[in-house]
Amino acid sequence: MKWSGYKNLEELSEHDDADLDLLKRRITFAGLVIIFFMAIIFGRLWFLQIHMGEEYRCRADNNRVRMRAIAAPRGNILDAKGREMVTNRPSFNVVLVREDSNDVDKLLKKLASSLDLDISVLWEKIREASSKPRHIPIRLLEDVDWATLAYVENHNQEFPGIRIETVPARVYHYGNLAAHVIGYLGEISKKELAARNSDIYTGGDLIGKMGLERLHEEDLRGEKGSSSSEVNARGFEQQLLKNIEPLPGNDIQLTIDAELQKVAEDLMDSEDKAGAVVAMEVKTGRMLVLASNPVLPLDQFLGGISHKNWNAILENPKHPLINKVVQAMYPPGSTYKMITAMAGLTAGVINADTVFYCPGHLKFGKRRYHCWKRSGHGAVNLKRAISESCDVYFYQVGLRVGVDKLAEMANKFGLGHKSGIELEHEKSGLTPTKAWKKKRRGQKWQEGETLSVAIGQGFNLVTPLQICLMTATIANGGKQLLPQVIEKVTDPAGKVLKQFKPVVVSELKGDKALLQQIREGMEEVVQGQRGTARQVRIDGVTIAGKTGTAQVVRLKQYKHLKEEDIPYKYRDHAWFTCYAPADDPEIAVTVLVEHGLHGGSVAGPVARALLESYFAERLQKAAAVEEAKAEAAGQER
Amino acid sequence: MLRIDRRFFHSFDWIFLVLVLCVSSMALMNLYSASYPPSPWGIPPFLKQCYLFLFGMLAVLFILFFDYKILHFWNYPLYIFIILLLVLVLLIGNSAGGAQRWVNLGLFKLQPSELAKLMLVVTLASYYSRKEQSDGYEIKAMITPVLLTLVPFLLILKQPDLGTALMLGIIFVSMTIFAKVRWQTYGLGIILGSSMGVFAWFYLLRDYQKRRIETLLNPDKDPMGQGYQILQSKIAVGSGGVSGKGYLEGTQGHLHFLPERHTDFAFAVWGEERGFVGSVFFLGVYFLMLFWGLYVAMTARDRFGVFLSFGVVMLIFWQAVINLLMILGFLPVVGIPLPLVSYGGSSLLTTLLSLGILMNVRMRRFQTGQNIEKMK
Repeated sequence: MKWSGYKNLEELSEHDDADLDLLKRRITFAGLVIIFFMAIIFGRLWFLQIHMGEEYRCRADNNRVRMRAIAAPRGNILDAKGREMVTNRPSFNVVLVREDSNDVDKLLKKLASSLDLDISVLWEKIREASSKPRHIPIRLLEDVDWATLAYVENHNQEFPGIRIETVPARVYHYGNLAAHVIGYLGEISKKELAARNSDIYTGGDLIGKMGLERLHEEDLRGEKGSSSSEVNARGFEQQLLKNIEPLPGNDIQLTIDAELQKVAEDLMDSEDKAGAVVAMEVKTGRMLVLASNPVLPLDQFLGGISHKNWNAILENPKHPLINKVVQAMYPPGSTYKMITAMAGLTAGVINADTVFYCPGHLKFGKRRYHCWKRSGHGAVNLKRAISESCDVYFYQVGLRVGVDKLAEMANKFGLGHKSGIELEHEKSGLTPTKAWKKKRRGQKWQEGETLSVAIGQGFNLVTPLQICLMTATIANGGKQLLPQVIEKVTDPAGKVLKQFKPVVVSELKGDKALLQQIREGMEEVVQGQRGTARQVRIDGVTIAGKTGTAQVVRLKQYKHLKEEDIPYKYRDHAWFTCYAPADDPEIAVTVLVEHGLHGGSVAGPVARALLESYFAERLQKAAAVEEAKAEAAGQER
Repeated sequence: MLRIDRRFFHSFDWIFLVLVLCVSSMALMNLYSASYPPSPWGIPPFLKQCYLFLFGMLAVLFILFFDYKILHFWNYPLYIFIILLLVLVLLIGNSAGGAQRWVNLGLFKLQPSELAKLMLVVTLASYYSRKEQSDGYEIKAMITPVLLTLVPFLLILKQPDLGTALMLGIIFVSMTIFAKVRWQTYGLGIILGSSMGVFAWFYLLRDYQKRRIETLLNPDKDPMGQGYQILQSKIAVGSGGVSGKGYLEGTQGHLHFLPERHTDFAFAVWGEERGFVGSVFFLGVYFLMLFWGLYVAMTARDRFGVFLSFGVVMLIFWQAVINLLMILGFLPVVGIPLPLVSYGGSSLLTTLLSLGILMNVRMRRFQTGQNIEKMK
């Protein structure tokens, strides 16, 4: 035991312990040090647990409870016959919750390499959302396919912070059909978010951007559900604490008949026509067809439209973005002549037998106002004037009633003001008066201008919907109806929240027999020997209608050109409006083909196809009955 | 050498034993919650710690049969043995988390650096109790103890285990101040110490160690990085509130928000589940145990006994303070356990042996040199 410096224990105990007491006194000092640190520790415990306790408790709860909103399926959109036009399907997004990932950089690299993605795209998404709180999920991939979905779900342990989010996506069963009416969805913008209730909307939500999706957003959106679950530090959900199922939105049934709408759109589309087709139940105001061509590519709007596609839509000379049914205005052309005739009849300046002579033009002041038929119609009465669309006849009537009376009558038939249909940005059109010109142009009305107005040119402007309304008003005996697009709104439980009801806006007073004379003229247009729309005839249904040509420009330089040589944008618009059956009208159809040149031959066939489709069942039945009769007759013989 | 007197049994400090058992049982209970739910494979940490505790208590019983004074004779062989173990660790040790700290002994993995702490206490106690200096130590007399500390200090720093190395330094400083040194010695010590600190910051500390110190200053700035552990620990303790969330009800620990929840941050689990009342109670008993240790030192029969028991109390006290201040967000994460509370076999054994030494000193308080001679 040499190393210790002592030989044995005894030697140690002989050691002098004289200052042992001195040493022990220093222990007191050590005790004070312990007390000092004890005080610090207890004080800190008091601060953390009692003073700040509430706040830390909140932070602990925020740590562990993850609230997640569950998007509600939007309401379905059905057509008049209950056919599904727009419904939902589940779509799967790959989302990242940055808070749950401890190394976003590594995670993205891994994800990109396993799914064979371009990592810069993922980074871009993160950058866009960098200002959002870390617990808000960022959509990395939208609407992924099954393979991706299965891979991510099976390897979720390898991707902490990556989750699959299931959201309903729109399905358009009829493609782009009635796109302008239905509209589309888009991610809510910052501006929209600021203007709306933050309890209902959060960033990344889809919201109706156009059409009924926008106008009926409140009906369609439903109520979001939510789930709260307990998560561990790696972001894996441990247990579900609370789950509130989302409430689907209300279903909307349209008055639009998808099959009719399809006939109209397809026909316009197949001949590459731009324009509008409108059909309406004349006794109720139900809109059966509201077609505007070219259609809007709804599928391109799913998940946000690309810059390229958007520019293509904007630059298309046929303006697919505009709903030509209500948002575009055209001169009514000859379709306006019914107004002029009605004004003349009502004012008593003409009756059914009044005859004017048409030499092919009317000299008024220093100018000659031509009839479209340069050789002239000769002596024409009202019926012939309408069926052959004699301009001179209506010049005469217009001159006798004056522009203000024309406008007054036009207003009674729905022109010159908004119809109040539930579509966006409806234009009111224009029915010029003397006062209007004074006010707007600061000029006195020229009588010559009345002549132009009387045949639907000049300052006159209408929307295709207005012409359809006018036609319906003529057909139903003078009732101006509110055009409506919604048949009913039903909540998810099946309760009907809103049911279609016809609304009469105004009713024509006075002698309804006068209207009958106009109707006769219109019938002659289609059924008559010299009518301008003889092509439209359908066996078994009598149709009454009116063609129209709306001049776009009156340029001398194009006058002598053949029609097909005139540049597209300077060609006349073609109108055709009609109702059927002529004796007991049910449906009014209006067709406008932009730069279509001829009402009867270009716009007419579209209306004819539509009517054929509308009456198809009845025509078949009638044909069957005919056949049976013929057979019976044959047997008798 | 084996002397058992009936008086030993009478002078055994039962109160101190009860304090130790109180702290230990609460600590084991807490460990059960801190490692809950039990993992399906292997022996759960809670059970392991229980076995080791029983083994440790047997070891304590065994050393009670020997007079603590024999450490005077055995401290240099022990010292050399531990140093060899530390060298061995560097050569063949098991590494975990980038550091080589363990020697695999088959039954369990020994962490020699834990034993080194106790060994340093014994060595310094032996040195200071022999070289008496009533007016304080001169600079020359400090060379031996500094060297005795520096060798294990550097070996442990090499592992690297900054926390334990610092503990050795703290033990050295505490015991040296207690032994009393001259003012010049203080002056030189401060100058040397601070210049070494500056040198260490620029040349010795690794980046992760520096970052730990930096993030301590503002953990909320970087909640996902280094500050995460401190922040989560504060949230755990703070969310306990006045009365806590209840046993096994803590969410911070069980949902893994709390890092190292059964080792260094074990007390945060207690704080979360027992709240302010429970924490104060537990720490009250814990500090009472330490005060009792100082009382043992006060009543020791000789200088060696005083130094030994003082050093042992300081060893436990400083580890506890540093661990608690870290959990409460006052110190960086340095990897120092809370003795008896944190999971870890080597630390538990070392602590129990330390407490055994205290019991030993206390038990032999009446026995003087004369007694021994008489007994002979």
